[in-house]
Amino acid sequence: MKPRQTTPSASALPPKPRNLFPVWLAALLALLWLIVHDLEISFETLAYGVADMAEYFSRYSKPEFSELSRYLELMKITLATALWGTVFALVVAFFLAPLAARNLAPYPLAYRAARELLNFMRAMPDLLLALIFVAALGLGPLPGVLALGVHTAGFLGKFFAESLERVDKGVYEGVTSTGANFPQIVMYAGWPSIQREALGYVLYILDRNVRMASVLGMVGAGGIGLALHDTLRMFNYGQSAALIIVILVTILIIDYASAWLRRRLS
Amino acid sequence: MSIISIKSATKRFPNGFEAIKGITADIAAGSFTVILGPSGAGKSTLLRLMNGLETPTGGSIHITGETLGKSNLRKMRSCVGMVFQQFNLVERLSVVTNVLTGRLAHRSWLGSLFYLFRNEDMEIAQEALARVGLTDKAWNRADKLSGGQQQRVGIARALAQRPKVILADEPVASLDPVSSEEIMMLLREICDRDGITVVVNLHQVDLAKRFADRIIGMNSGRVVFDGTPAELSPLTLQAIYKRDEIKDDTNLNLALAYA
Amino acid sequence: MTQISIWRWPTHNGLPPLPAVASVVTVLTAMWLTVSLVEVDVARLVGSLSKMLSFAGNMFVMPDWKYLPQLLVKMLETIEMTFLATAIALFVSLPLGLLAARNATPHVIIYRLVRDLLSLMRALPELVWALVFVSAVGLGTLPGVMALAFVTVGFMGKFFAESIEVVDHKQVEGVTAHGAGWFQVRIFGMLPQALPDFIGTVMYILDHNLRAATVLGLVGAGGIGYDLVMSMRLFQYDRLLPIAVAIYLVVTLLDRFSDQLRSRIIHGVQAKI
Repeated sequence: MKPRQTTPSASALPPKPRNLFPVWLAALLALLWLIVHDLEISFETLAYGVADMAEYFSRYSKPEFSELSRYLELMKITLATALWGTVFALVVAFFLAPLAARNLAPYPLAYRAARELLNFMRAMPDLLLALIFVAALGLGPLPGVLALGVHTAGFLGKFFAESLERVDKGVYEGVTSTGANFPQIVMYAGWPSIQREALGYVLYILDRNVRMASVLGMVGAGGIGLALHDTLRMFNYGQSAALIIVILVTILIIDYASAWLRRRLS
Repeated sequence: MSIISIKSATKRFPNGFEAIKGITADIAAGSFTVILGPSGAGKSTLLRLMNGLETPTGGSIHITGETLGKSNLRKMRSCVGMVFQQFNLVERLSVVTNVLTGRLAHRSWLGSLFYLFRNEDMEIAQEALARVGLTDKAWNRADKLSGGQQQRVGIARALAQRPKVILADEPVASLDPVSSEEIMMLLREICDRDGITVVVNLHQVDLAKRFADRIIGMNSGRVVFDGTPAELSPLTLQAIYKRDEIKDDTNLNLALAYA
Repeated sequence: MTQISIWRWPTHNGLPPLPAVASVVTVLTAMWLTVSLVEVDVARLVGSLSKMLSFAGNMFVMPDWKYLPQLLVKMLETIEMTFLATAIALFVSLPLGLLAARNATPHVIIYRLVRDLLSLMRALPELVWALVFVSAVGLGTLPGVMALAFVTVGFMGKFFAESIEVVDHKQVEGVTAHGAGWFQVRIFGMLPQALPDFIGTVMYILDHNLRAATVLGLVGAGGIGYDLVMSMRLFQYDRLLPIAVAIYLVVTLLDRFSDQLRSRIIHGVQAKI
């Protein structure tokens, strides 16, 4: 009989993760193959599609700007929705984040509650929230504002709380030792120490909200998304192209503006 | 009359480490007391107990006759200023704002939400800054200052509280010798001129001997010496700096050499 | 008479600092100007509270148990789409990331071109691309995966490039000094250093894509989103609640897992619970 190779339990642990790289890669590829199989994605369709794709996209080559002023009006609503949503999120996160920072929260129960609330807000996709708010409030940008606000408040609150947790413990103690109470510690030791990071997060969320606001219209929550949805459904490629260009240009402008602002801050 | 009295205080941390193993001490008003001991002796914990940054697991702390508890923490802290080894300033705020945080206990949270202070607070802060000789740096950001200057801002913050006691936790451990000297002289002067009781944690025997009225020696959570600097003998120093696990302690010999 | 105390800010002149005032005023003005646009109406908000409550009340009905198997299938499909799209994007964005990193790119013109391409790709949200791809290749998971992968390349390529740009130059020089070629320098000198960052990025994007994938069905691009919007439109509350719970659970689980993994990679320690 062949002597079986015995491995002592200590070396059963992977000595170096890199040694297992080929194994992981193989497992990953196998998994991907399974997924492709399961999703019934056929590469023939895809290849066929690619050939067609060039023809398909050529239909977008003549954007029709006859209704540009209406598009710009819609884009304005979209931007306003994003702004209001971001401010809403900022206000909510401003009050929730200090409670959700482990080293600041005055009561463990408040910490847990704030954390779970933030997690919940984050886990609900904003389009799902928008659907719910549209059902309750009717069509219009207001449900969009609430959806963006609630969802991104979860993100901002988590980012802020994590930043507040990274602040040196001594800074909090320095202010605590003077007899400051919880709100004062937050205002004088917490926020000033993370102001730059926090501003970066807010800009990032604003950026993200502009993108999301431009699709919220698809579920009836106002803005340019509904128009795009309709023109695409009606195979009106010229107007769709014009709408996509309006959205694209706006987002790129915001992108550059916020990048510029971030550079100036640091 | 004693301004601080510690009554058989003990402190055990959640991880089981017992930092303070029953200490009883009275600190006279207007005195300059140095708590001396090796690192890990529990000096810091003892000081933090007096400011309520830690709560004792047993015994009690009394300041001007009042027992330190959860309900009067804010009021008690406002009359006990604290100075830290790492200065613990809010680096992004200006020097003046850092000093103004010393006034927070007297202000409601609503005003603090908008960073509002009263004019009289500003005057107190300016006065405290003048006292530590940093008037010209008032509008600098705190992190732009040198270590010695930052520590002086820390002292100004404590002074702005208009405290009865200033506790200084290793105030010179992160400073060069010249700055250390200046800070100790400043603390001594505050004690002499303003009549503020000063309690300083130190591990340098020479500084303790030169500045203190009274020295409390600590080793592994217990008081092993309590007397005037003159009474500090090589034998008592040995008791203070003794370590259980190490027989021939080079640190001890070093400390004794400087004594 | 005692001095009348006046409030002041801790500044030279007692007034709040100009940049802070300017930004607050700008934001408030912008909000004030757009009140009518976003139709913010307190009366409507308050009035809708009862509607919200009744809606919430509707949600809490006995779930439709017969629907559960289909829910699981759809949820699995959503996860599979997320995974596949992220993997495709990973393979595409690794080389793109190298080309878009200032210190690894073969030429500055290529660097600029790839950077601009990446920012174009991530400019529009997945849902817009899903709409476009649905009208190009028809309903199903394929347009969803394409849309996800497309946008993800834009983000991932940028993040990869940024982590390559901050690698320690000395280690790269070390590899170069041993006579490594252009390609070897990048594979052995740069990628290993940027690897922890990469893994963090991939986890973050996996997280993001899962959220996005749950709603792609809204436009017919596969996943749980279609069932979600249908049960909403048809007032099938006994399906809506299980769907919402399932999304919440899966998103939260991945979120926790990626948080743990990221902090373990970044700090090299076990994450806080």
